[in-house]
Order: sequence, then structure tokens, then C-alpha cells
Amino acid sequence: MFQNRAEALALALPAAIFAALVFIVPVLLLLSEGFKVAEQWTLSAFVDFFSQPLNRTVFLRTLKLGAMVTLVAAVIGYATAYAIVSLPAGAKGRMIGLVVLPLMISPVARTYAWIVILGRTGIVNQALMAIGLTDEPIRILFTETAVFIGLLQLFLPLMVISLISALENLPRDAVPAARVLGANWFQVFWKVILPLTREGLVVGGTLVFTGSMTAYITPAILGGSKVLMLETLLYQQVTVANNFVSASVIAFILIIMSVAANILLKRIATARNRT
Amino acid sequence: MTQRLFAPLTLLLVMIFLIGPFFIIVAASFSAGETLAFPPEGFSLKWISKVFIVESFRQSFAVSMFLAIGGTLSALLLGIPASYAMSRYKLPLSETVRFMVSAPIIVPGIIVGLALLRYFVIPIGLSITLALFVAHTALVLPYAVRVVSASLANLRSDMEEAAVLLGSSRLGAFFRVVLPNIRGGILAAFILGFVTSFNQVPVSLFLSGPGVRTLPIDMLGYMEIVFDPSVAALSSLLAFLSIGIVFAAERFLGFSRYV
Repeated sequence: MFQNRAEALALALPAAIFAALVFIVPVLLLLSEGFKVAEQWTLSAFVDFFSQPLNRTVFLRTLKLGAMVTLVAAVIGYATAYAIVSLPAGAKGRMIGLVVLPLMISPVARTYAWIVILGRTGIVNQALMAIGLTDEPIRILFTETAVFIGLLQLFLPLMVISLISALENLPRDAVPAARVLGANWFQVFWKVILPLTREGLVVGGTLVFTGSMTAYITPAILGGSKVLMLETLLYQQVTVANNFVSASVIAFILIIMSVAANILLKRIATARNRT
Repeated sequence: MTQRLFAPLTLLLVMIFLIGPFFIIVAASFSAGETLAFPPEGFSLKWISKVFIVESFRQSFAVSMFLAIGGTLSALLLGIPASYAMSRYKLPLSETVRFMVSAPIIVPGIIVGLALLRYFVIPIGLSITLALFVAHTALVLPYAVRVVSASLANLRSDMEEAAVLLGSSRLGAFFRVVLPNIRGGILAAFILGFVTSFNQVPVSLFLSGPGVRTLPIDMLGYMEIVFDPSVAALSSLLAFLSIGIVFAAERFLGFSRYV
């Protein structure tokens, strides 16, 4: 450990000043716009924002999609992570690689694939018509279902990875012991697996929830202007309506959620380090 | 018995869900037809070759490459000294500095872009290219600091203290002892930064302007107007590029140790 303070500051200040100028100050100024109307500090922008039915719908839809994606990702995530953890070492590594792989691919490319699958002439519609469930193509693109599917595919890997590392720390005999003692699979999950992997679930859930809430590309491509979420609404408020006050209200909501999620994650990380 | 079937079936379905769409865009990009479709109509390389001919793709690819390489390098130039100061010196307000340089990761990209545009780019009168450059540097900075800090934490500090005691200057000790030892971490930070910056959309959304756009933004604009398989072709090429980079990094560097 070196003691020279001047030297330390000279090394760290360029990065800190850069971050302050291009990031911290601009974001704070942007947020302050939402609390100021005609140079007066007020909450009226928030009241205005939520008094409009469209904004309320978008806000609730964003929360709902975030919650649904998180819930479904947790259910599929547990099944997947448990199946992967039980594999022999070599196959396990390859499977984890396959789960991580999509994270490296451009989200635009990943989301674009769903247009091919869910579009009017896409595979899903072709299949539905082939088995005679429908006579003409049904609309899947630009619905909440499409956005839900896109978000789930985008963020499921984060849940699976969090749950894999949680399940790996599960004592090896815990599940067989519970089975021998007569617990059924539901009881095993509820009384043994869930309590012992709660941290991993919270970590994965937070990543998936904030990721879904703050996603832009997926709702933009698969939802369009029919299924707006908070980020696409923000974009529209700026580019179409030129309404920076409302944009800043949305920014405030999104930042509060991200920061809260990050504080939660940090809490868990430090609690884990202590034990 | 049911459990034995259940696990592989779950894995199969989940993998189809996660990876399947990727195969579909690859297949669609070899189509001979005029519109995006699966199964593809016939086989041709015309959409793959079209990607290289479309002028706007070439321009935006160059912009994205410049931002990913230049932005990551400048983030490392800012981030390495800062990480070194935080790990080896008694830095006043060390936690504040760490928070400041890693904050851009917490705030959604679209907000970073909008705030930067309104309160930095416009007041200063920065050009579009420079604005994007600054934004991508800020975006990569948290990753650079995190990965380099982790490498520094794993490197024992008595080595450089020994070098200083033996008469090396502090700077000489850094370049001859520390830097060679955290080379892997720096390279890992570069790759992570490159991929992050290259795939980034929300930060560049408001900052892109006429004539200067990043590749993903260009793709978003293109797919709204044209419904042909060229975006699928470009998407698969990009996907192979990312996978190739990450695979090579894992192979030669043990990338996952650092990230």
C-alpha cells in the first residue's frame, strides 16, 4: 500500500472527472427536469404523467411483463438448472456454454429471429394452419405475447446461471435424503431446494426483472407502437412528442428501480462474503 | 423413471427455445427468396453478399468498429490508472471514485444517451462521432474498472514493493512488474468492452444522427423499411463474429476466469 495521496489522485481523477462530466451531472440534470415546472420544484409532472390513461397502461404493462417474465424464468430456470447440475462434469460445462452463448449474440439479431418465427408467414402460423387450428394467420407480432416471448428468451440465461451456482452449493445429499425420508418432489422443492437456493433466486430474479423492465430493443421490434413499454414510451416522448418533462419522469422511475435492484444485489453479495 | 425422462426433455426444450431462433436466422439468410421466410425458399448466397454491398451497412460497421475499439481503449486508459490507484494507494474517497466510474452500468442506456445529449453534447457542440465516442467510453468504463481491479486484487502487491525497494521507480515498477502480470485481465476487459460496445443500442439511440449511426441502430432502421433477408444475413454474420471472438478468448485466455 503506497501512501502518496497526490499520486493516487492523479491516477484516479481523470476517470472520476470523466464519469462526472459525461455521466453523473447530465443524468442528475435530466432527472431534475421531472421535478421542475416553470422553475418551481414540484411533483406535478408525476401527477400529470400518471393522470394520463396511456401512461398508466404502459407503466402497469411494464411491471406486469417484468413480473411475468421473472416468474416464468424462475420456473423454467429451476428445472433447467437442476437438470444441468445433475449432469456429469464434461456435459455440464458444455451445457453451461450453450446457455451463456446467446448472451454474446447481438440482442438485435436475437430479437429479429422472432419476427421470422412469429410473423404472419412465420413457422408458428404455418404450423397452426397446417393442423387446422386457424384458417388465416393470427396476429402474434406486436402483441404482449410476442414481447413476453422475446424478453423471456433474452433473460432466461441470467436466471439459469444464477440458479446453477446456487444449486451447486446445495449439500449433495440434501435431495436424496429428503426423498428417502418420504418427501414427494413438490415437498423436496418447497422445503429443501427453495430455502437453500433463495439467494440465487433473488439474484437471478433481480437481473431478469430489471433487465425486462429496462429493455428497449425487444419491445421496439416485437411490440412496436402497439405494445409500448416504459423505454419505448420514453423514446416516443422525446422523438415524437418532444415532451422532455414526461421523458424525465420515466427516466426517474426506471433509475429508481435499477438502483433499488443494485442495492439489493450488493446486500446479498456482502452478506455472502461475510458468511 | 419419469425423472430420467424429464431432465433431458427439459434441457432439449429449453435449448431449442434459447438457441433455435439463432439457427432459424442463419437458415433464413441463405434463402433465395425475396422476403424473409422459414423454411427458406431455395439456397443462395445473395443476401450474405448483399450485406457487404449495402453502403449504409459498410459505413455503420466502420462506425461501430471505431467506437468499439476506440471507446474500449480510452476506457482502459482511464480505467487502468484508476483501478491501480484504488487497489494500491490509500486513496481519499476511494469508494466514491469506485461508485462514480461504475455508475453507468446501473442506469439504463437510453437514459445515459438522452442525458448526455442534452447536458453535454448540445451545450458543448460536440460532433455526432465524438458524442458517440464519449458515450461508448463511459459505457465500457465500468467493465474496464471491474475486470482490471479483479486482476490487480489477485496480484500480490509485495512484488512491486520489492521492485521499488530494489531501486526501480514507481512508474518503472508498474510497467515492468504490474502490467505484464495483469495482461490477461486487460485483454479480457478489452474483449468484454468490445462486445458490449459493439452490440449496444440504447445508449446510441439519441446520439446517432444523419450519416453517423452504429451498426445495430442502422439494422433497426433498415428492418422497419425493408423486409428482405439481408438483416437476417447480417445478424448471423455478427453472431458468428461474437461467438468466434468469445470462443477464441476462452480458448487462449480462459476468458471466463476474468468476467
